[in-house]
Amino acid sequence: MDNILKALKVDIPEEKFDQIFDQLKSRYPDGEDPWGLNLNKARTTLEYIWPLYKSYFQVRIFGKENVKDEPYMVTSNHSGQIAIDAMLIATAFATEMEPPRILRSMVERFFTALPWVGTLAAEGGAVLGDRQNCLNLLSRGHSVLVFPEGVRGVAKSTFDFYKLQRFTRGFFRMALTSQTKILPVAVIGAEEIFPWVYQAKGVAKLLGLPALPISPLYLPLPSPVDIIIGEPYAIPDVSPEAPDKEIDIHIDKIRTQIRHMTNEGLKNRRAFFANQNHSKVPKDKKP
Amino acid sequence: MKQEDIKSILIIGMAGGLAKITARLLVKKYPNIKITGVDSRSISESIQNENIEYIRMRYTRGNFEKIFRDKEFDCVYHLGRMSHADTSSLGTSEQRLDLNLMGTKRILDLCLKFSVQKVIVLSTYHVYGALSDNPVFINEDHPLRASIKHPELRDVVEMDQIATNWMWKYQSDIETVVLRPCTIVGPQIKNTMTRYLITPYAPVCADFNPMFQFIHEFDMANVLKDSIEKLPTGTYNVATDECASLKASKEILDCPTIPIPSFILSSAARLLNTGFWSFPRYLLDYIMFSCIIDNGLLKSHLGQDSFRYKTREALLLSKLD
Repeated sequence: MDNILKALKVDIPEEKFDQIFDQLKSRYPDGEDPWGLNLNKARTTLEYIWPLYKSYFQVRIFGKENVKDEPYMVTSNHSGQIAIDAMLIATAFATEMEPPRILRSMVERFFTALPWVGTLAAEGGAVLGDRQNCLNLLSRGHSVLVFPEGVRGVAKSTFDFYKLQRFTRGFFRMALTSQTKILPVAVIGAEEIFPWVYQAKGVAKLLGLPALPISPLYLPLPSPVDIIIGEPYAIPDVSPEAPDKEIDIHIDKIRTQIRHMTNEGLKNRRAFFANQNHSKVPKDKKP
Repeated sequence: MKQEDIKSILIIGMAGGLAKITARLLVKKYPNIKITGVDSRSISESIQNENIEYIRMRYTRGNFEKIFRDKEFDCVYHLGRMSHADTSSLGTSEQRLDLNLMGTKRILDLCLKFSVQKVIVLSTYHVYGALSDNPVFINEDHPLRASIKHPELRDVVEMDQIATNWMWKYQSDIETVVLRPCTIVGPQIKNTMTRYLITPYAPVCADFNPMFQFIHEFDMANVLKDSIEKLPTGTYNVATDECASLKASKEILDCPTIPIPSFILSSAARLLNTGFWSFPRYLLDYIMFSCIIDNGLLKSHLGQDSFRYKTREALLLSKLD
């Protein structure tokens, strides 16, 4: 660990981390929660992630002022093939927001069965992306992180980068049920962490895999990442069991807001050799 | 059920530690009741209480009919579910199925026939199954998925379902309560999980660390006691609010562990499960994946502060002999 830190020339801000975890410990007095969060292990993991977050991906945050001391359903575009975006958003909310919070990332069902990885993610705050799970977390005042594009969003071929995929409706119905505000987030730069990818969807389907990225390079590149936080989307007076067409109006507005944030973010992004072909604002697929 | 209606109670599975504690608590609360405790096992220590009579008997229809005729029970506790802990032979497996399924049905029918007012059946949270896609805080309506991966758990699930189906069918005739407790721990509890927890150098999965809920035997016995008056007909999860991971629990108990990857552990369990180390294979899932249950319904009847022991205390006390 020390060698890595030295190589990256990054110091772990011990004092800052102490303050953050003192605040978090008042929320989780025993250090563990029923979903498997373990604050001590989360801190260790965060200390490993911090150099990547700060120096490797050089994460910048915009719109911090939109985050208040209340629970949110953080709703983001999805990119980067292996959900590095989730890791970076969660790190941002743990280290750079006031008050700090452990974002509960909703993960795919297969993920929780993975040896080591599933447990490591759970200890850092990730939870199974299950409707009941999400509602239980929101009712207890947690903020959750959702990617309504699902696997379609994270597993894109290069020619589809930054094209927002269709949003599922479940996240919005859960927000309505729990009356939790939606906090839109756009992540720029994560697509180019793996810049040359072809998703062999047909083969993946045959093999029963969620995705099959084919790339000449499986090493994550240090693409600079921007996380843009939009203004919260207030929960409308709509029943959680309203027909799809009533729900879709709001989902479309949220999607449009994230698309707008993504487009603005692309204009202001930092230069990186792998994003030369993606400097144009993409035309995304219709919802 | 009102206090004045409680005069005679039957406890099935009396040789178990939980049954003995429950019986003592019941006598304390209802000083004039007569408790008949039955079990096919011999009791490890004699019960020195004039209100409690222990009868060792084989679990046959005839024997049960006789005691139901003789004693006129007002309330019956069915705590006699046979465990999977020592079921390696086919004979034992058949015996277990007969006792847990047919036995439960016979007992429930006798309760109805002999006008028992309340039946309390002890099931287990194992009925939900330990699966990687379990949500946290499983409520009582959740599907019982234990036997999806492990057919040998069919009797545990079916026993629960027999009791719940029967409960709703005869709800106008008899009050029935089915309890699904989390892992019960305590010095008098000798279940597989408690033995596993307090065994030093027992292997744990290196690649998984599931969360657990523990209830102390005294708290569980209290819930059983209070079920008579405070719980109406229904199914209830019984668990504390606190959770602890398996590895944290082992640390609390100061029990060193041997971390082994799960794929090696499951193969080893197959080889070792031949009398040398009795650990049912299905329990391996419980040391890989969490099964956290929701206690909201129980607390709505028993109150917010229904439990005396915190997880740490409950675990530490379970080490006492």
